Amino acid sequence: MTPELIQYLENIRYNSKLDHSDEKEVMSELEAHIEDKVQELKESGLSEEEALETCLGQMGATKLVAHQIYEAYSQGSWKHVSLASMPHMLFGLLFALNWWQHIGWLSVVLLLTCVTAIYGWWHGKPAWVFSWLGYALLPVLAVGLALVYLPKGWSLLTLPIYFPLALWWLFRVIVQTTKRDWLFSSLMLLPLPIIIGWFLAVSPAGRFNEYSLQRVYYFAPWIGTSFMILGLTIAAFIRLRQRWLRIGLLAISGLLTLTLVVYYTSGRLNTLTFWGLILVMWGVFLLPPLLERFLRSGWKIRWIYDGADSAKLR
Amino acid sequence: MATRRDLLTGSSNSLLLCLLEQQPMYGYQIVKELEARSQGYFRFKEGTLYPALHRLEKSGLIAGNWQMLSNGRQRRYYHITDKGLAKLAQEKTQWQDFLKAVRLILQPGPSGP
Repeated sequence: MTPELIQYLENIRYNSKLDHSDEKEVMSELEAHIEDKVQELKESGLSEEEALETCLGQMGATKLVAHQIYEAYSQGSWKHVSLASMPHMLFGLLFALNWWQHIGWLSVVLLLTCVTAIYGWWHGKPAWVFSWLGYALLPVLAVGLALVYLPKGWSLLTLPIYFPLALWWLFRVIVQTTKRDWLFSSLMLLPLPIIIGWFLAVSPAGRFNEYSLQRVYYFAPWIGTSFMILGLTIAAFIRLRQRWLRIGLLAISGLLTLTLVVYYTSGRLNTLTFWGLILVMWGVFLLPPLLERFLRSGWKIRWIYDGADSAKLR
Repeated sequence: MATRRDLLTGSSNSLLLCLLEQQPMYGYQIVKELEARSQGYFRFKEGTLYPALHRLEKSGLIAGNWQMLSNGRQRRYYHITDKGLAKLAQEKTQWQDFLKAVRLILQPGPSGP
């Protein structure tokens, strides 16, 4: 395979954002088509380079092909819609029905979230798994917060070990997700600013105490509503085919939900905190594509190197 | 006025179903067949054929399966499904009505009494 062909196929692969099983099939099919076409053009008297150039010209621009492949594969089934919106709905119900006070329900939902996220992660990372994964990060955060409340000596001993490990693990998850598609990283992290917003609203001093529990009870219907709005957003996201619509939907819904949090907490979040949360929300949408660009530059170098190597071997 | 590309985009599903009704084919074969049978009128940007085929497959109108050739290479052959045949019959009727109406306007017959 020549470097030009490798680059052509890689551009399609990168922009079509397919999962691994679909990706393998689609790329094999395109490769077989190009081989047939180049063979025929060579038999008509063109040199190898001319044949490849003509063939790639007739295949169409990589962005156009990838864009159409993305739209052919992006729409999830109704089963995927229910799977993807389920964690948001579960957490929404947990608060809307005030079940969050029962340790049993809370444990069941958290356990279900973690098990589903791990199952999906090891079974091809389908689109629905990323909303579960976002909530599966909660126990990690919760353990971190719990460590703060340990007796002082223990806190100082455990926090410097736990936080770097937790951050490293979170970073690995984000990198792996971004390699699949940066939009899934944004989808996964979407509840984060909302959760931070509610946490700051119920415990303005940053410490969770008995008074905070009363506030959670007071805000519970609104906390539930905000998670359910996210659930509906994700349902629409899974059904949409166009990428730009998906990005717009996540951004608008995220910012609207955040505004609702601030509105319902009726002044408990000050302006500075609100802008801080807006900044976190923008981070959710800007950091994954930047990370992808950074990772991509590394892949490109590797692909070209591999391509040149295999061409040399032939 | 619709360009040739617009016409192809609007009718690509019907054309693909129609070709696959006759025999199972693989992508490159479909491109060649479409070009030959339309005497060069219909030309796909060949890479965009596959998204169109995969959309039809996801709708259950066609199905694809890999076959190993004697030379060791693999090709993905597509065949039309029962659902595809029903859809094609429906689309053929629509196209025939449309063509009849266009023909009546392009070649007006003697006006009535």
